[in-house]
Amino acid sequence: MKDKRNKPYTESDMVNLVNNVNRQEDLRYNRRSFLKAAAGTSIALGLSTLPFSVKAMVDTFEDEENRQEITKLADLPKGSSIEFHYPTEEESALLVHTKAGELKAYNNACTHLMCPVFYEEKDEVLLCPCHKGYFDLNNGHPIAGPPQRELPMIEVEVKNGTVYAVDRKYRHG
Amino acid sequence: MGNKICWIVILLTLAINVMLLQWTINAYLGHEFERVFLYSLLACGSASVTLITVLIWRKKEYQ
Repeated sequence: MKDKRNKPYTESDMVNLVNNVNRQEDLRYNRRSFLKAAAGTSIALGLSTLPFSVKAMVDTFEDEENRQEITKLADLPKGSSIEFHYPTEEESALLVHTKAGELKAYNNACTHLMCPVFYEEKDEVLLCPCHKGYFDLNNGHPIAGPPQRELPMIEVEVKNGTVYAVDRKYRHG
Repeated sequence: MGNKICWIVILLTLAINVMLLQWTINAYLGHEFERVFLYSLLACGSASVTLITVLIWRKKEYQ
């Protein structure tokens, strides 16, 4: 009885032509609404850049010199590294004394997803173990893996056998 | 401005705004604030173009 009620009274295709037409959907989803949605998305994306400008204007980022002692050079043999914090306690950094005798320092939060970056002595490279991101030890630029931006470089100075962090550059090289 | 041109302009500005948003975020994370302002300004300009185009399209479509 139920089956008979729900079946169309004829199997003819010509009569059942309009069975695939859904009026409510046709009214809601059509080319006009697609264009309006695209325009709305475009405007929303354009305006969503404004908070970044406002934040850039409002925030006071460090521009005065910030000199901090890291360690004594004698305590850092070649081919080793030490962790410190610069310019604030929340921002961890890494000072590397390379095998060639150079001092390289970077903030060691991976530019991919902020995992800590470590110094690999064997290959003289900076490695992020989370997603196997590799950074060049000499300039902090990504050489493999997902990171796209270089590590912020910390300028160091040696005075009287002590290593100091003096400045930071976000974009370099 | 024909309807077809309105379509092209709107879809083009959509693609442009997607790119500008990504560049803005990248510039902000890299502390390149002049670029943040520039890209933001361009994005707002592009959004204005989209809005004007939508109004022109609406007038033509529903007349």
